[in-house]
Amino acid sequence: MDDPTSLKERIKNLMVENLMLQVTAAEIADDQPLFGPGSLGLDSVDALQLVVALDKHFGLKIRDPEAAREILKNVNAMAVAVQQKLAA
Amino acid sequence: MSARTVLVTGANGGLGQAIARAFLAEQDTFVWLGVHVRQDAAAALIRDFPGRCECLVLDVTQASSWCQAVEQILARDHRLDVLVNNAGHHSDHLLATMPLSAWEEVLATNLHGAFHGCQAVLPTMISQRNGRIINLASLSALLAPPGQANYAAAKAGLVALTQSLAKEVARLNITVNAVCPGFVDTGALAAMNAEERKAAQAMIPMRRFGRPEEVAAAVRFLACPEASYITGSIIKIDGGIL
Repeated sequence: MDDPTSLKERIKNLMVENLMLQVTAAEIADDQPLFGPGSLGLDSVDALQLVVALDKHFGLKIRDPEAAREILKNVNAMAVAVQQKLAA
Repeated sequence: MSARTVLVTGANGGLGQAIARAFLAEQDTFVWLGVHVRQDAAAALIRDFPGRCECLVLDVTQASSWCQAVEQILARDHRLDVLVNNAGHHSDHLLATMPLSAWEEVLATNLHGAFHGCQAVLPTMISQRNGRIINLASLSALLAPPGQANYAAAKAGLVALTQSLAKEVARLNITVNAVCPGFVDTGALAAMNAEERKAAQAMIPMRRFGRPEEVAAAVRFLACPEASYITGSIIKIDGGIL
């Protein structure tokens, strides 16, 4: 299993690659919001892509919109969800 | 392994057969034939094109059936490039006397079926960053003829679904388009007698019904690489009626 730091790096790289972000993985803070003011500026289509990518790369299935809101809050929240899935 | 994988729903019907044959004319394409109750014509296609196509039992009105179908496709091909939502059904009545079941069944097959289909294939297409969805709407969506409130509403809904979804997934390299056939000479017109056929043809500027192959050609075009910048389009194939 990835340690938390390298898992977060993987998630950031996955975001940059899949969402074609104009920032590098190193520029994304672990607690930076993904949506809304002061965030990375992602939108609902980006969220859709993230849901598909997390399923494809980590087997994490997010079917409930409420859960998606929690998990896609920032990199920290995604890493926790992935770790829980991998530990299950 | 085929270069491209296509799923055509309603593949036992006249239009579905023509669409499947159009894709099978491409040497590198594998076609999944979505069938439900009847499979005789699809089975004949498999005999004509051995190893190039396969039947897939699919009830388009059931999300669970779509999930199983997509799983079966991915298990073999590991990809799905084109979805043609062709399965359709009509049950004409004047609205004042239309049984609720006729309303619900027509909406379920023509509109909900396409909704379930799009939802089922999108994760794969998003993951591929590539995909084509072609919805078979109808001229009824645009003309709304009397006696077809259910069918016209379902097909108009399908047109709106097409345009909305096209905007949602455009930047993911997935195109979503619809074709609106007018009178096409398939089994669906078999109930017309000679006089009715003549009267219908008189309304068509080209003075003839369309051939299934003419609709299939438009569908195949929308799925080809040259159509990569066409999305959210509604193409009518009607001999000039509208």
